[in-house]
Amino acid sequence: MHDVKRRYVIPGDKIADGNFRPLMNVIKSGNALVATRIGIAETGRDGVKVIPLSGVYIPRVNDLVIGKIVDHSSLSWEVDINSCFSAHLPAQDVFGRDFSPARDDMSKHFAVGDMITARIMAFDRTRDPMLTVQDRDLGKVPRGELLKISATRVPRLIGKRGSMIQTIEQATQTRVLIGQNGIVVVTGRDPEGIKLSVRAIQMVEDEAHTANLTQRIKVLLNVPDTPQEITRAPIGNGDAKSGEIDSNMGEVEEELEVEGEK
Amino acid sequence: MSASRRSPVIVEHLRKQQMWDALAKGKRLDGREFDDQRPLEIELDVIKKANGSARVKLGHSEVIAGIKVSTGEPFEGLENKGALIVSAEVLPIASPHAEPGPPDEEVIELARVVDRGVRESEMIDLEKLVLVPGKVVYTVFVDCSIVNTDGNLFDATSYAVVAALLSAKLPVLKMEGEKVVDTSETRDMPITTIPISITAARIGDHVLIDQGPEEEACMDARITITTNEEGFCAVQKGFTGSFTVEQLKKAAQSARVKGEEVRARLKELTAK
Repeated sequence: MHDVKRRYVIPGDKIADGNFRPLMNVIKSGNALVATRIGIAETGRDGVKVIPLSGVYIPRVNDLVIGKIVDHSSLSWEVDINSCFSAHLPAQDVFGRDFSPARDDMSKHFAVGDMITARIMAFDRTRDPMLTVQDRDLGKVPRGELLKISATRVPRLIGKRGSMIQTIEQATQTRVLIGQNGIVVVTGRDPEGIKLSVRAIQMVEDEAHTANLTQRIKVLLNVPDTPQEITRAPIGNGDAKSGEIDSNMGEVEEELEVEGEK
Repeated sequence: MSASRRSPVIVEHLRKQQMWDALAKGKRLDGREFDDQRPLEIELDVIKKANGSARVKLGHSEVIAGIKVSTGEPFEGLENKGALIVSAEVLPIASPHAEPGPPDEEVIELARVVDRGVRESEMIDLEKLVLVPGKVVYTVFVDCSIVNTDGNLFDATSYAVVAALLSAKLPVLKMEGEKVVDTSETRDMPITTIPISITAARIGDHVLIDQGPEEEACMDARITITTNEEGFCAVQKGFTGSFTVEQLKKAAQSARVKGEEVRARLKELTAK
């Protein structure tokens, strides 16, 4: 990654000329590579991409998301995943292949208003995303404080190798469940800890684009500023969806902050 | 959308639990007290071509009201009174749930509740809007466009209508034979009082005013109480839930106290 160049771009900005491959949010116009979204342009060995700083959540296969059950038909649940696409969770995914709409009561499993963690099983923009809960730690979210942040801020909230979220979790004694679609659920025993955790998450969202954020979060959480090796507990109870998130994106944003400090 | 249908907003069960926990502690999710209103912004004369207009923001609910005055025949049975017609429309940009097309039952109810507040308080002295008794009267059209929905449209729309009427200038018309002639002069609308509506919602055993969209989706019953300087002038209850006498007294008390505050603001604004 040492030869990667980064800068802020807006739609229409020319990022580079030449024989590069256009990747995420980049199109090729003649010989020029042009950004299609506001974000950070990154020119690497494999091509040019723009990491968006604004916009809605666009599902990707294998993403872990937190969604709200908004309706169900006789064959599937409709899930609001905080995107322009409405997701579907097939009843067979929950009840198995011998699911019978006449016999099985879908609302007993997931009712309208329930929150679920799910993985995007299939999505290709021509059809709505299909979800699955057939994995460890997926399914209904039983409790917690609900928060919605911009999906583009999720990598920042996680930080480099999960550093930001671990700082927040350890300082506030809470567990933070993050969906890649920007839905966050905070759980914990101490209401004050939850409140502080929520404040920290909101601060990350509001100031994600600014430099020196980790430092300010540490000040907010009253964490001593000593370099320490953070070891994360084994993933359990579905709270470490962050571990699944494109850690590369988190790193990019973390490095940006370092650049900003110079 | 039928009138009995609940809010299109689906509140997550987790969020509902948070709301109930907060209400049990005497707080609301946004930190307000039960009888606190969200920030209210009122702007007058926002449409230059209208006879009167106002834009009201209550929280993020936003309503623009415009007044157009013309002439017409009086309503049957009200031959010696001018005509007042209030209508409302939720624009498709107002919410992801709003659809273009004619107003549905809920929006018709909204316009009627606002109309009732203005009419029953006798805010406008309609008898002064007569040109030829029984034949030609002033017709005051009040059109409300809901630009953004964020709960409690009843109060936001009501304030927009009242503010627009307070700012309205009536064209001075006169009869020349059978023809109505515009003299190009204007005069103030014959205002007698300032009605202010306050809507209270019941969630469980708690009564709170100026409900936000999530509270609206969780409420069991709703009541809109309109007061003027002298007392109560109109009441409309919504939803199937009920209020106890104590809860009603609480809602009425809030309607008087908060109504007085909003009225004072409107008076101050129109005095400028």
